Amino acid sequence: MNEEKAIRVKGLKKTFKIKLKEKGLIGSIKGMFKTKYKKINAVNDISFEVDKGEMIAFIGPNGAGKSTTIKMLTGILYPDQGEIEVMGIDPRRKRKQLAYEIGTVFGQKEQLWMHLTPYDNFKFFGAIYDLDERVVEKRINELVELFEISEFINTPVRNLSLGQRIRCEIAASLIHKPKILFLDEPTIGLDPVVKENIRTFIKRMNKEYKTTIFLTSHDVGDIEKLCKRIIIVNHGEIVLDDSMDNLKYHYLNKKIVEAKMKEKINLDDEEGITILKDKGYNLKIEVDTTKRTVGDAIKLLDPDKIVDINISNVPLENIISDIYKSGN
Amino acid sequence: MLTVVKNQIKVTLLSIKYGLMRQMLNKTTFITNIIFMLLNNASFILQWVILYSLKDNIGGYTFKQVLLLWGFAAGTYGVSHFFFKRVFSLSDIINTGKLDASIIQPKNILLSVITSDVEASALGDLIYGYIMLFICDISISSFLLFTLFIICGGIIMTSIAIIYGSLAFWFNNTEMLADTGNSLMVNFATYPEGIFKGVVKTLFYTLIPIGFANYIPVQVLNDFNVFGLLAVLGVTTLILCMAIAIFYKGLKNYSSSNLMSARI
Repeated sequence: MNEEKAIRVKGLKKTFKIKLKEKGLIGSIKGMFKTKYKKINAVNDISFEVDKGEMIAFIGPNGAGKSTTIKMLTGILYPDQGEIEVMGIDPRRKRKQLAYEIGTVFGQKEQLWMHLTPYDNFKFFGAIYDLDERVVEKRINELVELFEISEFINTPVRNLSLGQRIRCEIAASLIHKPKILFLDEPTIGLDPVVKENIRTFIKRMNKEYKTTIFLTSHDVGDIEKLCKRIIIVNHGEIVLDDSMDNLKYHYLNKKIVEAKMKEKINLDDEEGITILKDKGYNLKIEVDTTKRTVGDAIKLLDPDKIVDINISNVPLENIISDIYKSGN
Repeated sequence: MLTVVKNQIKVTLLSIKYGLMRQMLNKTTFITNIIFMLLNNASFILQWVILYSLKDNIGGYTFKQVLLLWGFAAGTYGVSHFFFKRVFSLSDIINTGKLDASIIQPKNILLSVITSDVEASALGDLIYGYIMLFICDISISSFLLFTLFIICGGIIMTSIAIIYGSLAFWFNNTEMLADTGNSLMVNFATYPEGIFKGVVKTLFYTLIPIGFANYIPVQVLNDFNVFGLLAVLGVTTLILCMAIAIFYKGLKNYSSSNLMSARI
């Protein structure tokens, strides 16, 4: 295995068999005698590599195969085909050995004991990873400082806010100093301020411990602010694997022009210019700079009638959404 | 290897300790649960008091033997439900993807899952079991034998629950089947063996092995014989191995789930 690679995946496949049922009670009765199944290719022949210390976003629409892939990488699910190496370990064969190398946070599933305090939970996780008492104490102190959790370290988890809980979940998953951290929607349901805090903590962790971060999220802010590389999956296949800079660069040929006008103007779609929003005095247009210039668009609007104007890049959210829709 | 076993035991005991701490959060409920379980078990003995006032021997058992049978039934139930409570919801755990948290930890998956909670009222069963034993016989040898047998019985009951629960790896809606299977182990355990004949009796030494969890222990404690003891130890090991093999075979079919959940 390449020493620099944290994750290596080749030709990974996973199929689920779903039971089909005709509608209504009669359908249920028929189903008792003859069951029909449908095969769903949740992950269909995907291959990629992740370098050590890299922060990578692994994203896609619901049902694209993100969680299934993470679950195969962490040993939760058995793949049907393909090769996986996480820190040089095959999760199928050496689950326990792998567990010492990785940390996992599922935003939708709690791993902490709700009735225990974060401190007791950290002690329990320390025991799970066979850490010596003194080592656990030292590690708890480090994590308390890194994630700023001293204020509620002795409050039962069930009494914590969602943001505080997620910080504790991430801290608990780091008790054994994992080399890779899998984060499955870590900021789900959090308010913008807490989201920003969590991102700061993740960045700090990556910087201080050189932890490889494998992130899935529907929040574009998480992806944009944390990751330098992005893999987009759809229908179980990788549709894009590129650096964040490249992704943005390719879409930079489109600009969004938002203008507030003195008086109403009539404007129609032209080649290279698309009207996105027309609310009388307020206009939002998209300019394809490979066909027309931004100057052309401003001329069309009539510069003398413009009260205010804003020219920006296409938001990453729209870029990703376009990729999801187009499929490649 | 020894360190691995030592660490596993440490985590298991810690898990049980935390489970007990959760049950003790509400002191009144905790104590009430135990006392009510004791009273509940005691109320059933009343019917046997009435029956034995009419007849000296029922199904080959004297009143003292019925008390001992109740002692084993309660003790066996107590061991399995106190230490391995979550095994009785294994189907649900598998169906709702709650095995994930245990799979990603470097410890035994099955043990982590089934010891992650305790049932306070099962302590009442355990206490009741020992009360029944002391009514029948007070000696160190019977105490040790009784303890060994209820541990074996608890393991048999837990293993059967693992087998029923593991069906969820292959089939849908197996919760009811698992509940029924587990209930059968409890329901038949308190009746003298002699009242059952033929197929039913065969079931007690095969599919519903209360013969090994309750009947043979009563015989051995009454009149010690080494073959009975070895049979119980052997069958306990065999059923446990079967249960573990079935669980890990099924685990390869585990499909997890994305349901939102909390570890409560």
